[in-house]
Amino acid sequence: MTEKKLNPVLSWIKLHKTEIGAYCGLLLCIVLFSIVPPLKGKSIWAPDKLATLMSNVIVMALLSVGAVFVYAMGNMDVSIGKQVGLYATIIVALGNSTGSLIPGILVSLVIAIIIGAMNGAIGELLHIHPVVSSVAFMMALGGISTVTYNGLGSRNVGLTSIDYHLFKSPWLMLAALVVEVIIITYLFNYTKYGKYAKSIGANPVAAEQSGINLVKYKVISYIIMGFCVVLAALFQMGFTGSASDSTGTGFEMNVMVALILGGMPLNGGMRSKVSCAVVGSFTLGLLAVGLPLIGVKPNQVFIIKAIIFLVVVLITCRKKSGTLPR
Amino acid sequence: MKKILALLLSMVMVFGLVACGAAPAAPADPAAPAAPADPAAPAAPAEPAAPTYEDMGTILWLSNLSGGAQYDATCAYLGALCEALGYEFEVCFGDPFNDAANNLLAVQNAMTDDVVGMITSQDGGLKDIMEAYPELWVAGYNCDMRSVYAADGANAACASNDHYLGTIADGYGDGFFLGNQMARLIIEGGYEKVAVINFPVFAYPNLTEADAGLRAAIAEYNATADKPIEIVGDTTTLMFEPLPDSWFLEAGRGDLDVIIGLCAGVQFVYPTMVGAMANGTCAADTKLITSGFETDPDIIADIGGDGVIAGLTVSAAENPAYGLILIDNAITGNVAEGTTNACVDSAEYVIDSVEDINNVMTKSMMGTGDAANAHLTVEEVLALCGRNNPSLTWQEIVDTFQAISVDELK
Repeated sequence: MTEKKLNPVLSWIKLHKTEIGAYCGLLLCIVLFSIVPPLKGKSIWAPDKLATLMSNVIVMALLSVGAVFVYAMGNMDVSIGKQVGLYATIIVALGNSTGSLIPGILVSLVIAIIIGAMNGAIGELLHIHPVVSSVAFMMALGGISTVTYNGLGSRNVGLTSIDYHLFKSPWLMLAALVVEVIIITYLFNYTKYGKYAKSIGANPVAAEQSGINLVKYKVISYIIMGFCVVLAALFQMGFTGSASDSTGTGFEMNVMVALILGGMPLNGGMRSKVSCAVVGSFTLGLLAVGLPLIGVKPNQVFIIKAIIFLVVVLITCRKKSGTLPR
Repeated sequence: MKKILALLLSMVMVFGLVACGAAPAAPADPAAPAAPADPAAPAAPAEPAAPTYEDMGTILWLSNLSGGAQYDATCAYLGALCEALGYEFEVCFGDPFNDAANNLLAVQNAMTDDVVGMITSQDGGLKDIMEAYPELWVAGYNCDMRSVYAADGANAACASNDHYLGTIADGYGDGFFLGNQMARLIIEGGYEKVAVINFPVFAYPNLTEADAGLRAAIAEYNATADKPIEIVGDTTTLMFEPLPDSWFLEAGRGDLDVIIGLCAGVQFVYPTMVGAMANGTCAADTKLITSGFETDPDIIADIGGDGVIAGLTVSAAENPAYGLILIDNAITGNVAEGTTNACVDSAEYVIDSVEDINNVMTKSMMGTGDAANAHLTVEEVLALCGRNNPSLTWQEIVDTFQAISVDELK
């Protein structure tokens, strides 16, 4: 019996259609926003717009890259938005009282470890979906935020004596993102932590039968994400040197959208890649900066983003059986 | 099937992009004379030395709204005014919770080289916005800019920035006077048993001032009144969620004469109140006095007369023109004498009768969304600009805005 052989190019395309779809989305944005705005005398490649692009991308990308471990396991954490708000508030408050950002960052890291450990362990130990514990954290942190700002008598707190303008530098943003991507890529692709995370996402029963300690590696994955959330909170705070009761609101959805736009399978597994987070974040960032430049009204941006999201999902997230992933 | 759906959605997206991409206004022909303000009037020959105001740049509105009657009216009005003054008009959505970082990002995303002025309904992040765009002229609209005027405010640096031109508040800049106004409506209505509902102080400190103003005015009235007014219990604070049904079950709340909704009562109190009336936990003759404006026909029909809503205060929809005038004066170098960057109180519609609400719905810009129904027409606003009336003082401009009244619609 002769095996039917596909053209190597077609075979490669078939194997990588998800990545191709995601990269094509990014490429389409780049091409579209490179061609149309100049017709109106504007350019997305002007230095100020590139800086704006980085401002749009940085927090979302830092969060998304960190979330790759959790999404690779087929889990998600909906508390990261509220975590960003909490850490930003702590960094500002301790910054004002100590004159340095370091204490706030250290306290935030400790809290991130605790929340990460609980988020990772609770689901496995209590046999509930991990998203449930993250929902509980989201609600609890939201309550803490409300009580805190109610006590302060103001919706926001700002740095009073520390110069935060360094965090506005697009070069620093880029450097932070590159460093985080390198570290996470190394951990995800070349250490057992990433390989086990993908294995758990692919088949948790098989992973456990293979000797992988699910609790341990879930906790580690959530803690890795927690560190990235603290870094993202630092840049979110540094944008205006302040935090408010709404800082971080909706970020969990932005992360999910960015990862899916980048081709990340919602059920995790071996197809999970760090590049999904970067591609998705830049695609969303380009849309945010580029759509106004081509004359799209603000209230139409949401609709266009939704349609693009749906198109990309239909193209990239289809399983071989023809059904959408869970 | 999914491929077809993806293809269809792709086509929708592409067509959407094409359709949504607003074509820029046709550039004015430099050789053509400027259109006269009144199309019916004959075009007078232009003075040779008079400056022409064409292609003046873009005015950005950092909005706290993304829809509704006030948003529609503002867009229609600012659009018409900007066109008449030679500007383009664009909107960008600020953060719904006035978050500094999100406001800055919204402005950055919307910013283009030709944006010369910004009318903002948000003060979050204003210092950073003005740092990022030092040439941008900024004026507030329906925002008291507390963070600018408070000495320790997050945006206090803006107060000394010569590109910050001032603001017109949403009603009273000092909430105490809003409380006084509410107390006046209580007294004039003959109500004797009152409850007050508010938003938390950390979000709206001016409304806590209003609560204090209301209580002070009622206490002053009670000192000499034959029938003193009772304010039942402490003020209820709503955390941006509708009033719970159980509120009416608490002592003294089942037979109130009036509820004062210092919060956006039409949205957060009225629906619960109507439900409570239906199930008998709220007296059928309890009234609501509050602020905010909705065009829902059922709500409109319930204002004034025997309706549940006995009084409604709404800031004049013409307020955005104040900021635009300040910006235009600054850009054209025609700053009015006596101009300060203070926060000025705005006029308010006090809608307390069926006639008032009918007039608002049919004759005002707020109700119709039509700039042609503005109290201050485009021509009148042009006449308030320094480019057309250099002798006009800032106080005269302020007085013009504060003279707007719902009674003018009669």
